[in-house]
Amino acid sequence: MIPSDHFTRFYNEVFKFLEGQGEEHLKEYWLEISKNQEKHTLELFKSKGLQGMYEYWDHIREEENCDMDLELNDERLQLKMNVCPSLSKVLDNDAEPMKRYCDHCAGWIGPIIDKVGYHLVYDVIDRKKPQCVVNIFKDKKEAIKQEKKAKLLMGWPSKKK
Amino acid sequence: MSEKISNKNDLRYNDAGNVHMDFHGATNTTIEFIIKKYGIKIMDDIFFKVGKEVYKDLRENIKKGNIKMLAEHWDHFFGRENSEYKIELDKDQVVLTVKKCRAYEHVKKIAGFVSPNFCDQTIKTNQALSEGTEYVIDTKILGEASCQQIIRKKYDT
Repeated sequence: MIPSDHFTRFYNEVFKFLEGQGEEHLKEYWLEISKNQEKHTLELFKSKGLQGMYEYWDHIREEENCDMDLELNDERLQLKMNVCPSLSKVLDNDAEPMKRYCDHCAGWIGPIIDKVGYHLVYDVIDRKKPQCVVNIFKDKKEAIKQEKKAKLLMGWPSKKK
Repeated sequence: MSEKISNKNDLRYNDAGNVHMDFHGATNTTIEFIIKKYGIKIMDDIFFKVGKEVYKDLRENIKKGNIKMLAEHWDHFFGRENSEYKIELDKDQVVLTVKKCRAYEHVKKIAGFVSPNFCDQTIKTNQALSEGTEYVIDTKILGEASCQQIIRKKYDT
């Protein structure tokens, strides 16, 4: 068994293989993971909107031991990841980290947020540091404003323009 | 006579805190995706990389004859996931018997389908851990969510 604690290091090896095959291979895999994650998120996000998203990431914050601040208001949910356990483990690793490891996160979250009609702005800030800021807006105009402030904005397969 | 397992603090990866079992669901999805698109050899190669590179320290310890480290690794992580298991540790052999693997059971519960290759992660990673050492790790599937993993010196009967 690869322990659940070590999943991200396994994930890292999968990413390195797929990156070697080409960008489209990585994107196809992220979409597959996104479909898998729909089982845990889609109904909750559809039925409760931002509140449902808050509940999901509040649960993740505890279960994955994240140092993360969550802030919810009527128009926006913000996830401020102070120390990401996923990238932290990949960096604390005897195998080489994939340089774009962070990209997978927007790669699976983005398509789900699109599906439920909200607008994701994913600022990775710096791929070498285990921190990021994610904003999810009801209003597309607010998302576009936020995108302009991002230091390293992430895209995802079939991102809406 | 069995020895006691201790010194888990020496493990290269010594995780603590909560456990996110849903990651096993993502492993299951990944195994199905990779095998369907690229074939089983590629999946095996990735597991070999995990065994040789991610678990480099564990492998180095096995090379030096310190198989107790593998017993500590098994005890730490099967314990954290609340599996039902038993470890018998002797000088030249460690036997891990998993009566109920929570990883397997969790995937069955959340996904309703467990890849027929789900346990390859154990079989292939174990093979990689012992390759090039004086030891061999045999993984025998005993039934659903149950297996036995034995590390022993090569050529022992």
